[in-house]
Amino acid sequence: MSDRQREGGYADRVQIVYAKTLDYVAHTVIVVMAVGYLLYMTQLLPLSVPIETIAGNWHLSATSMQAKLNLPCGWECFSAPAGILHGDVLSYISVIFLSLSTLICLASAVAAFISEKKYLYSTIAILQVLVLLVAASGIMSAGR
Amino acid sequence: MKISVPRRLMIPASVAGALLMLLMPAMPLLAAAAQPAGVTAWWVWVLALFVFSFLLGIVAVLAGVGGGVLFVPIVSSFFPFHLDYVRGVGLLVALAGALSAGPPLMRKGLADLKLGLPMALVGSISSIAGALVGLAMPAQNVQLLLGIVIISIAAIMVMAGKSGYPEVSRPDRLSQMLQISGLYYEEFGQHEVSWKVHRTPLGLLLFFVIGFIGGMFGLGAGFANVPVFNLLMGVPLKVAVATSGLVLSINGSAAAWVYLFKGAVLPLIAVPSIGGMMLGSKIGAKLLPKVNTRTIRLIVIAILALSGFRSLLKGLGI
Repeated sequence: MSDRQREGGYADRVQIVYAKTLDYVAHTVIVVMAVGYLLYMTQLLPLSVPIETIAGNWHLSATSMQAKLNLPCGWECFSAPAGILHGDVLSYISVIFLSLSTLICLASAVAAFISEKKYLYSTIAILQVLVLLVAASGIMSAGR
Repeated sequence: MKISVPRRLMIPASVAGALLMLLMPAMPLLAAAAQPAGVTAWWVWVLALFVFSFLLGIVAVLAGVGGGVLFVPIVSSFFPFHLDYVRGVGLLVALAGALSAGPPLMRKGLADLKLGLPMALVGSISSIAGALVGLAMPAQNVQLLLGIVIISIAAIMVMAGKSGYPEVSRPDRLSQMLQISGLYYEEFGQHEVSWKVHRTPLGLLLFFVIGFIGGMFGLGAGFANVPVFNLLMGVPLKVAVATSGLVLSINGSAAAWVYLFKGAVLPLIAVPSIGGMMLGSKIGAKLLPKVNTRTIRLIVIAILALSGFRSLLKGLGI
């Protein structure tokens, strides 16, 4: 038996599904983040807020900077389709994609657990997806 | 007189030296750049952050700690960014590191979903709560508490032991119900290792507390996850380290949303930090077999204690 077969033999099907999804997602995230940041730094696309303005205010708290610059937060960047075509907004979207990556992997695990009829872990994984969905919905907010 | 330095000490000494050299000029720059119209060009800070994250990535792997736990105290102490953005990036750095390391560990059965998911479920709920509390508190108080937490982490790193293959004579009822056990192939000794766990309810409680601290301060919580899995629950060290990555990727992702919706994530500083840390981690993994990790771990503990002390002073307004 080859090393690879031996290694694969110690992970069940759900783990393999999770690992495969994670592999695809992680590589895509790296590419998307690199492209987004390149567009941001080179200013090939216009910026919604100039870099100098961000740098001039990065000593302020998030609340103060929001009050002053009204940067896109969470899903707000998708509210105006034209707004997406900005270098800084695309870079922000790449960070959102990174934050979504775990959710995507867990969704694949839920499907795999259900197909394997592992109902206890299906329930735990669904609960975990729900927790992340609640977080990603922006229902919970904080402020000082 | 010629002073000879053992070869095994040269790489850690060089990396640590580069880290310190980068920190020294950052101190006076900090005061200038903290002003609204900072005298230092923005790209200097962004470039310095990338280089710094790259070096941190190397050091983190060599010292066996997560990137987030080093990133937040050091960057918040020596760079001009507000603590809100540093904590937001800290979570994303930890998340990105865990994502890139995850697939091979899961395929080998080292990162275990059945062990990690219940812990991540409670940890992610508390990490959201921690992020909400942390963002609602005055930054100076958070900085003060961060200093205390970081100094405590340095103390834990000095005192905590580790056990390669802990003995679990009787698994607890909850772990049996959740079917938490496993088998993996130990490449070093070329044998199979089967494992089971005990003290699961206490483990869940501790993961709740760790998740809260991680979310509040933007720390990846590998420093705490691993001892709880390994020393408390009896998980073999390699499985504990690998599964800790899985747990902190889920917890980090949950808390990161709170920071994203608060506007506490700036791509300008987040992306170079993540990129630098991921690149550095890959180099660190290649250097790992060649260096004296004990030396670098001691250096990291010293740097952690120093940045924790600086956070304390900042929190006290000194």
